[in-house]
Amino acid sequence: MAEGKGARPLELLKSTPVRQAVGVVSLMAVISVTTTAIAFLRVRDGLEETIQTSLDQSAASFSTARTAAELRDQVSAEARVADAEQRIIVLLSADGRSVGNAGARLDAGMPVIFAQPDDEQLSEHGYEFRVIADDRGTLILGETRESVNEVSRVFIAQAAFSLVPTLLLSLAAALVIAARSARRVVGIEGTLERLTAGDLKARVAEDPARTDDLARIAGGLDRMAAAQEASVAALKQVSADIAHDLKTPVQRIAVLMAELRNQTGEGSPEAALAERALAEADRAVAVFQSLLQIAQIEGGGPRGRFRPVDLSAVVATFADIYGPAVEDSGHSLAVDLPSGRPVHVRGDKDLLGQVVANLIENALRHTPNGSTIRLTLRQEGTSVVLSVADNGPGIPEAERALVLRRLYRRETSRTTEGNGLGLALVAAIADLHEARLQLSDNAPGLVVSLAFSTVAALPV
Amino acid sequence: MKLLLIEDDKTIADYILAGLRQEGHVVDHMADGRDALSQAMASAYDVLIVDRMLPGLDGLSLVRALRAAKVMTPAIFLTALGGVDDRIEGLQAGGDDYLVKPFAFGELSARIGALARRPVQQAEATVLTADDLRMDLIRRTVKRGDVEIDLLPREFALLELLLRRKGRVQTRTMLLESVWDISFDPQTNVVETHISRLRAKVDRPFERELIRTVRGAGYKIDG
Repeated sequence: MAEGKGARPLELLKSTPVRQAVGVVSLMAVISVTTTAIAFLRVRDGLEETIQTSLDQSAASFSTARTAAELRDQVSAEARVADAEQRIIVLLSADGRSVGNAGARLDAGMPVIFAQPDDEQLSEHGYEFRVIADDRGTLILGETRESVNEVSRVFIAQAAFSLVPTLLLSLAAALVIAARSARRVVGIEGTLERLTAGDLKARVAEDPARTDDLARIAGGLDRMAAAQEASVAALKQVSADIAHDLKTPVQRIAVLMAELRNQTGEGSPEAALAERALAEADRAVAVFQSLLQIAQIEGGGPRGRFRPVDLSAVVATFADIYGPAVEDSGHSLAVDLPSGRPVHVRGDKDLLGQVVANLIENALRHTPNGSTIRLTLRQEGTSVVLSVADNGPGIPEAERALVLRRLYRRETSRTTEGNGLGLALVAAIADLHEARLQLSDNAPGLVVSLAFSTVAALPV
Repeated sequence: MKLLLIEDDKTIADYILAGLRQEGHVVDHMADGRDALSQAMASAYDVLIVDRMLPGLDGLSLVRALRAAKVMTPAIFLTALGGVDDRIEGLQAGGDDYLVKPFAFGELSARIGALARRPVQQAEATVLTADDLRMDLIRRTVKRGDVEIDLLPREFALLELLLRRKGRVQTRTMLLESVWDISFDPQTNVVETHISRLRAKVDRPFERELIRTVRGAGYKIDG
C-alpha cells in the first residue's frame, strides 16, 4: 500500500519529522538573522558615533576663530588639505560668498552641496552634516557616510552569500532526512492498515542493520504481527481439524442413514425414521457451519476480499429470490430502493447477501400471516442505511441486545425453526463491514437497520 | 463416464462408489494423495472427485500439481471446510467446483454431470425445445403446442437454464448459483417456490409434465 508509492510532497508536509525539520531550520534562520542584525546595528551605531565625534571635533577646531575673516582663512586653509570625498568644509559668508572644498547652499535650513568645477569629486555615499550659523557666517561641515554604507553592504553580502545558502542547505538536508523517516512512518502506517484490514502477512520488514527508534518500533510491530498470524493460523488449524473430525462422522451418519432408507421400503415407517435422522444431521451441520462462519468472520479474514458492492442490486436479488416464498407463506414483501442507481459500499457481496437473507428469514419466522416485510435502502448523509422492517409482534427493548448473541432464543420462539444464529451472523457481518447495527421499534413490529458508510465514485 | 474418486474415508468412499456405479459410471478409487496424483496423470478421466484432506498429499496440492502439469481434467472438491475463504482457496487451486460435507449424493451426482465436458449443445441456438415446448430466445416467447405461455423474466431465466441443461439434474444450489449468482443455500426453500410457480404456468395446464423433480437431488427436463 503506502510503502510502495513515493510519498507526495504535500503529504510529506503533514508528517511530523518533516514539520519538525522545517521548524528547526526556521528557528535557526530566525536566530541567525537576529544575531546578524544585532551585530550590524551595533557596528553601524559605532560608525555613526565616530562620524558625529569627528564632526564635533572639527566644529570645535573652528570655534577658536573669533571673526568672520579669521574663520574664512581657517576654512580655506583646512579645505585645501581636506579630501572632499571624505570631508566637506564650506563657509557661507553673510555677503553670499562661499569658501570651501565644495559648492553649498542652504535649502530650508538643510545644506545642499554640489561639486565645483575645480573641486575634487564628492562622495557617492552621502554625508552627515553639521551646520553652525553665527555672526561669522554659516559653517557647513560634512563627514562621508561611506563607512556606514560599506558596513551595510558587507552585512548584506554576508547574508546573501553565506547565511542564505547555509540555511537552504540545512533545510534540504533536514528535509531529506525527515522525508526518509516520514516514508518509514508511512510504511509502518501502511502495514498497520493492512493488518487491520485482515492481511496478516503484512510486515514493515525494515533493514535489520537499522537500530534507531523507528526500527525498534517496526521490529516490535513485525513481531506482534507474526505472533498474531501464528495464533490465527493455529486457530484456523483447530477449526479445520474440528470441522473435519466432526463433519466426517456426521457425513458417515448421513451416508449410513441414506443406505438404511434405501434398504427399507419406500414409504415405510423405518424409511421415515431414517429420513428424520438425516434431517437432524443436516441441522447439526447447519449450526456447526454457522458457528464456524461467525468465527471466521470475527477473525476479519474476509476483509481482504472487500470490493465495492452495489447494495441496491443485492437487495433487489434477494427480494426476487424470496418474493414467491414470502407470498406463499401468507406474508407480503415491499421493496423500497433508490430508483435506478447503484448504491456502493465496500464489502463482501456474499456476506451482504447473507445479511439480507437472514433478516428476511427472521421476519418470516417470527411474524404472523398477513404481516408485511419491508426492505428499504436509503441514503442518509454520508451513510447508506439498509433496513428490514416488519409489523409483527416486535422484540421488547430489553431483549434487543440479547437476540444478537449466538444461540440465544427467545422464550416465545423456542418452538419455531431456526437455530439462534441468524442474527448473530448478521451482527458479525455488520461488524466486519463497520456498519452500525440497530434494532428498533416499528410500532408495531421490528426494524433491523444497518448503516454503512458510502463509497463515492468508485472505479469498479 | 470414467471417474476418479480420491477419498480416504472408507464409509463415505464406499457410499459414493456404490452410488456412482449404480448410475452407470466407471469409477476408480484411491485413498492416498500421492498415488492419486500419478493415477490421474497416467489415465484419462472425465471428472476427478477430490477430498481436500488426504494422507500423502492434500487435495489442494494435488489439483495444483495436476494443473501445473497441464492436466485439465475437471475436478470437484469434497471438503469439511465450508467457509467462503476455503471455497475461494479451492477454486484458486484449480478446482472447478466445491462441495461441502455432508452432502447429499444427488448433489454430487448432479455436479459431476454439470462438470463433465460434454459438447455444449444449443449454445448458439436461438430456439430451445423440449417435447412440445418451444422457447424463442430472441423474441422472448414460450409456447407449448400453439398455446403461448406468459412468463416473468425470472421464470423465463429458470426455464431457459433447465432447457439448456436438458437431461441433466439441476440441484437447488446449482440453480441459485446460475440464475441468481448466490453461493449459499437459504434455509427457506426459495427455489422450490420459484419452480412451483413455473410449473403452474408451463406444466399444470397441459397433459404431459416437463419439469421433473428428482428426489433428493433437484429438477430436470428430460432430453
